[in-house]
Amino acid sequence: MITVHGLCKSFTARDGETVEALRDVDLEVAENEFLTVLGPSGCGKTTLLRALAGLVPWDDGDILVDGEPVRGPGPERSMVFQNFALLPWATVLENVAFGLRLRGVARAERAERARSLLATVGLAGCEAKLPGELSGGMQQRVGIARALAVRPRVLLMDEPFGAVDEQTRRLLQEELLALWEEHRLTVVFITHSMEEAVLLGDRVALMSARPGRIAEIVPVGLERPRSRDISGLARSGEYAEITTYLWERLREMHAEHRRDGVAS
Amino acid sequence: MTLTATPRRTRRGPGTRAGPRPAHRPGPLRRFLGMNLPYQLLTFAVFAGGWELYARARGGLLLPGFTETVRATVALLGEAELWRALYVSNQALLLGFALAVVVGIPAGTALGRFRQFERYADVYLNILLVTPMAALIPLLVMSMGVGPASRVVLVALFSVVMVIVNSRAGVRQVDPALIEMARSFGADERRIWTRILLPAALPAVMTGIRLGLGRAVTGMVLVELLMVSDGLGGLILTYRGLLKAPPLYGVIAIILAEALLLVSAAHWAERRLTRWARPNEPRSLSASGPRTARSF
Repeated sequence: MITVHGLCKSFTARDGETVEALRDVDLEVAENEFLTVLGPSGCGKTTLLRALAGLVPWDDGDILVDGEPVRGPGPERSMVFQNFALLPWATVLENVAFGLRLRGVARAERAERARSLLATVGLAGCEAKLPGELSGGMQQRVGIARALAVRPRVLLMDEPFGAVDEQTRRLLQEELLALWEEHRLTVVFITHSMEEAVLLGDRVALMSARPGRIAEIVPVGLERPRSRDISGLARSGEYAEITTYLWERLREMHAEHRRDGVAS
Repeated sequence: MTLTATPRRTRRGPGTRAGPRPAHRPGPLRRFLGMNLPYQLLTFAVFAGGWELYARARGGLLLPGFTETVRATVALLGEAELWRALYVSNQALLLGFALAVVVGIPAGTALGRFRQFERYADVYLNILLVTPMAALIPLLVMSMGVGPASRVVLVALFSVVMVIVNSRAGVRQVDPALIEMARSFGADERRIWTRILLPAALPAVMTGIRLGLGRAVTGMVLVELLMVSDGLGGLILTYRGLLKAPPLYGVIAIILAEALLLVSAAHWAERRLTRWARPNEPRSLSASGPRTARSF
């Protein structure tokens, strides 16, 4: 379980101005929950995720994972990156085993675990390829396999499907849901797509920008498991209702921004 | 003598050419014409022919023809004097270049990673890049004498800047997302160096080594010509003094051949070690592509 309490973070922009990226963020993510975080660009959602990952320091507040304060990256959390962040010189297998190698897992065991995860994400046979030889969707499957290889309890995903085309994205969403349904782990998933936030999440944390804060938490009552028929869900009345509501809230935020003279 | 970097060629296989795929695999003649070698041989033949004709028409004692030069070169290869000169020169080259690599790679990568060093070092790097290095030769000889030491130091000075500048560029171009990724999996600074920065910078470092090698050959010959008349440069001076043009041309041809050989070997090693960083690879790799300083 993740608890975020009173998290504040500001930084100095290049022009010397102080930007309040996060103000008083409170958030609870339950064990095995799939939480999506939705917000306009520049609302600090990526900063929030990087703080959860222990990659950036913050000014005030606490982050607890299973009651333990976060003081840096930890073995129970792993991250999936928007632009995949694969090592271009290493084979797919070495990329998947990267985290295991850093943690001192023996060679034979890490190869075995990487191989079985590659099979899980549908990339059996690609072990010896270089990332540059794979399509974007396949590269992100490698990124997901790498994150899962260290057997995390929390998966932090930073707009992981933002850099792939729409059809691939739908496939990856289904695959991710299937993996999550099977492995049961806690997922914090950043996205700027309302559709994605609703289709994947148990709840949607809606963030507002400047200062970045959680505006509202919207529960998604769509039945699970969803991995079988994501497109069918996308036609349901409840889905339409939630996305309409989210869009109204987002539109209000954009309008407020314009009133405040902030470029949006 | 300046060794300019030849751009990396991308050989297109039959399956990757643009437009409709040809029905058949191109024949041997097509493939031969697709390579660069025939064109290089052709330009060389034109050059040699032109030289020979000019020398026959206008030349005399001081301008040997192409064939005469070839004969002199072959004769030189049988002489102990040449081999001693090659040994002396290459000793300075090897030591100086090794020094440049041993100093340049750590210095360059550190400069790329830690911006605060840059404030101190930038001005000296610019001096090394811009100054005509030959101007430093008298200074070096005055402080270090005419022995091998000053030749080694000069070779190192000539080549180290290419190694530093390219290593620095290599580390700087590393995708920050990769470093962040490594940190998220618990990597400390040492692991970030060994697992991310150094492998990612390797293509640029290899480019620096290749360009630095070219500059090292330049330095080796220059110092021998200008100050310490020994080795190959000394041999050039001797033959000039004796007005023996054919062996003089022969020595120059041997220096050119050696430089070409060394740089080709460096190029080959570069390509072997950094297959993943081809410029024709997809966009996601471009962050580590060879956007690096060239020799001038």
